[in-house]
Amino acid sequence: MRKFLCAVILLVLCASGIAESPKEVISKTVLLEDSEEQAKRVGALSGANPEELIALLNKWKEGGIFIVENADGTKVAVTLDEDKDAEDKQTARRLDTGAVFGRVVAADITTAETDSTLRLAMKSVLDLAELSSPDLKRRLQAIETMGSEQDPERLPALLAWQAKETHSRAKRAIQEAIALIQLKDESDDVKIAACKTLGELGSIPSQDFLKTTAKEANEAGKAALVTAANGALKDIAGHVTFVNTAGTAFRGLSLGSILLVVAIGLAITFGLMGVINMAHGEMIAIGAYTTYVVQCVFGPGLELSPFGINIKLPGMNATDWLYDSYFIIALPLSFLAAALGGLALERGIIRFLYRRPLESLLATWGVSLVLQQLFRLTFGANNVQVSSPSWLSGNWTVNDVLFGWNRVFVIVFAIAIVWGVTMLLKKTPLGLLIRAVMQNRQMAACMGVRTERVNMLTFALGSGLAGLAGAFISQIGNVGPSLGQLYIVDSFMTVVVGGVGNIIGTVISALGIGLLDQSLQQILGNPVLGKILVLAGIILFLQWKPAGLFVTKSRSLES
Amino acid sequence: MNKRTKIELAIVAVIAVILIFVLPALNASGAVSNFTINVWGKYLCYAILAISVDLLWGYTGLLSLGQALFFALGGYMMGMHLMRMIGDLGQYKKPIPDFLVFLGWEQLPSFWVPFSSFAFSMLMVIVLPAIVATAFGYLAFRSRIKGVYFSILTQALTYGAALMFFRNDMLLGGNNGFTDFKFLLGADVRDAGTQRGLFIASAIVLIAVYGFCRWLTTTKFGLVQRAVRDSETRVLFSGYAAANYKLFVFVVCSVIAGIAGALYVPQVGIINPSEMQPDKSLEIIVWVAVGGRGTLLGPVIGAVAINALKSWATRAYPDLWLIILGGLFILVVLFMPKGIVGLPAQIRGFFAKRKSTETPAAAQPSPTAP
Repeated sequence: MRKFLCAVILLVLCASGIAESPKEVISKTVLLEDSEEQAKRVGALSGANPEELIALLNKWKEGGIFIVENADGTKVAVTLDEDKDAEDKQTARRLDTGAVFGRVVAADITTAETDSTLRLAMKSVLDLAELSSPDLKRRLQAIETMGSEQDPERLPALLAWQAKETHSRAKRAIQEAIALIQLKDESDDVKIAACKTLGELGSIPSQDFLKTTAKEANEAGKAALVTAANGALKDIAGHVTFVNTAGTAFRGLSLGSILLVVAIGLAITFGLMGVINMAHGEMIAIGAYTTYVVQCVFGPGLELSPFGINIKLPGMNATDWLYDSYFIIALPLSFLAAALGGLALERGIIRFLYRRPLESLLATWGVSLVLQQLFRLTFGANNVQVSSPSWLSGNWTVNDVLFGWNRVFVIVFAIAIVWGVTMLLKKTPLGLLIRAVMQNRQMAACMGVRTERVNMLTFALGSGLAGLAGAFISQIGNVGPSLGQLYIVDSFMTVVVGGVGNIIGTVISALGIGLLDQSLQQILGNPVLGKILVLAGIILFLQWKPAGLFVTKSRSLES
Repeated sequence: MNKRTKIELAIVAVIAVILIFVLPALNASGAVSNFTINVWGKYLCYAILAISVDLLWGYTGLLSLGQALFFALGGYMMGMHLMRMIGDLGQYKKPIPDFLVFLGWEQLPSFWVPFSSFAFSMLMVIVLPAIVATAFGYLAFRSRIKGVYFSILTQALTYGAALMFFRNDMLLGGNNGFTDFKFLLGADVRDAGTQRGLFIASAIVLIAVYGFCRWLTTTKFGLVQRAVRDSETRVLFSGYAAANYKLFVFVVCSVIAGIAGALYVPQVGIINPSEMQPDKSLEIIVWVAVGGRGTLLGPVIGAVAINALKSWATRAYPDLWLIILGGLFILVVLFMPKGIVGLPAQIRGFFAKRKSTETPAAAQPSPTAP
């Protein structure tokens, strides 16, 4: 019976021990004299709420916990508030309850000391606490730091956490960190195994450590280890090549998508209508500036003074999600603004020049000059700042390859636009009319198609798509008065290579040019040289296929 | 020779006398300022360039956006010679151009060496544009790239070349190009006498180019050239190798543009890659369109008029200059398809039409095919 009672009491004690908050445990532990016992108790704390634990232990380590005596001689652990008065007195609060103890002078009371045994215990608890942080980023960083410090004392904490970790990225990081620490192990076998793991993981940051290991092993004459380390380095180099290739492919794809979004509007106006719109670039700029204006309206407002006229747009001063949603509003508005611009251009100028394509090139160049200068006068000669909404500014890292959200978004968006345009051309009455007019204007007119109206709508559509492209470019590049000029040559090239009047051709040529451009950049290490080679490549390509990738077959002589 | 041609030749003769003899004499006596001579020398180079564009566009129907490239190439060849003539008077007091010293060169790169010779440089002014034009033209015309496609391709060529010249490792001065010229044929470039000499040279070349083009367009070759412009397919069916005609004109025009560039550089004292950007080519086309294409006097008038307007407007309304230029261009393309030279005929036609129909509604000029 006595035994049973004892067991019950022990159990209760244990239970209460577990139920005690870290604060209470520490406020008791601080008072103990024996550092071994203190270390034991601190060690037992692991598993408690990591945030609180980290804060408390760090405070203790840095000498932020003090010991004061009650009137009856019992000791109490306190912390001090930051409210020093003229007599250097501060408010002391009990660590366990938070109740005010009284006002004391910091210099007069005892600081809770820590010795090496205790600090070691604290460190392992802290490590584990960092590892168990619910925030993935913090966890990853803790793991990474531990790996790069190669401190064998941290191995137990990592091993302990490895079993509990569930997130795949963190798991991989732990494996990497453990292997890195094991590189410092006494036994060669462990080292060789660690090398192998690192090689298999393709761990890019471990290259320097592996090189050191190989060098040391070489000096010590351990052939097996040298082979293992070099093998791992080779594996990693292979992985680096893969990462670079994948990164290039991704960048090429996203560049191709931008080209595609820019060129698809052109493919419609130039390809389907045969109109050379040199002001297409400025339609892009209209879209980009519309995005800017919408952003300013959601933010602090905007003041413009073109030609001495003051225009003041009130701002909504929106924050958080409301501000982030400006882009959703900006997309349709960019389309509309550019489409209206295109409509005006078609009605005002281009409709007089359908029979003179070369002259439409010249007149629209005049328009482009005028528009550029208008942008400059309205928004200033410098680039304006368009900030990405937060949901577009992050990135994913998959297997060390970085995928920026904005670029992923552009790719997805390009797919959506191509799909939309194809559907519009193939499945809607307007699409039917557009194709009819494109194939044979006179015949279509004879059949009662109002070709004038179709021209107008087609041109507005093409320009609107350019405006959408502008909204995207504002998320990726600079927005300035000469934004359009950057893309105009490239987008004409894209359409010509793809074959005029063919959407699929434009898609293939845009992606091809984008990939080629980025690959050449990667290989030559020089963006300008890559671009020049791409231009030369296009000229040579047209030798092989003068009418582009996909030729619209026609019996007309002057096609 | 009909009456019109006679009148035109008489006008040209008068202009030639004024440019080659009267203006330089007035300048030497102090009646015309050095600044005026310098500015007009520049206009004359532009006029030569404009004639070359017109020979391509107005007479052969090839709207090339690459003429600025050939102009700049000629300019660069001249610039290289002028850079060599600086000798060791540069900032670094080294026998090689400053920017090469800056890039860490101790000796002259081998391709720079022959440019010490004036004769070689002048040869290159002609040969280099011709080589580039032959290579590009052969490729383009062989695969029957024409119309708008030709324009876009020449634009790409110019764009690519500009990108290349912007690079420092081309060893052609990168962004800054060449400047700070000192001597040309032993004379100080900035000296009023040298500038007058360059002005006279530009005037002589302009008149010579005009004469050459006038002669070329009256030959059988000129007839085929215009036939290609009006209907290339018919020319092909008649058994002419249209591509060869086009290639020849393209090369000739590139050489003319190169010579204009070579005369231009010592007069303005600088050449850099911004001279060969696609925009510049389009600007030349504006001159020709405004002056009147398909005539030989038109481009000259257009080049001088627009540049004079530019000099004035960039000072008087610096913000509005581009709007003026763009607007002018739109108006000319829409309402004056024959340019300034065609204006009297257009006005006559307008009144004649008005008289015959009595309907003012038909006031708009009818669009004519290019």
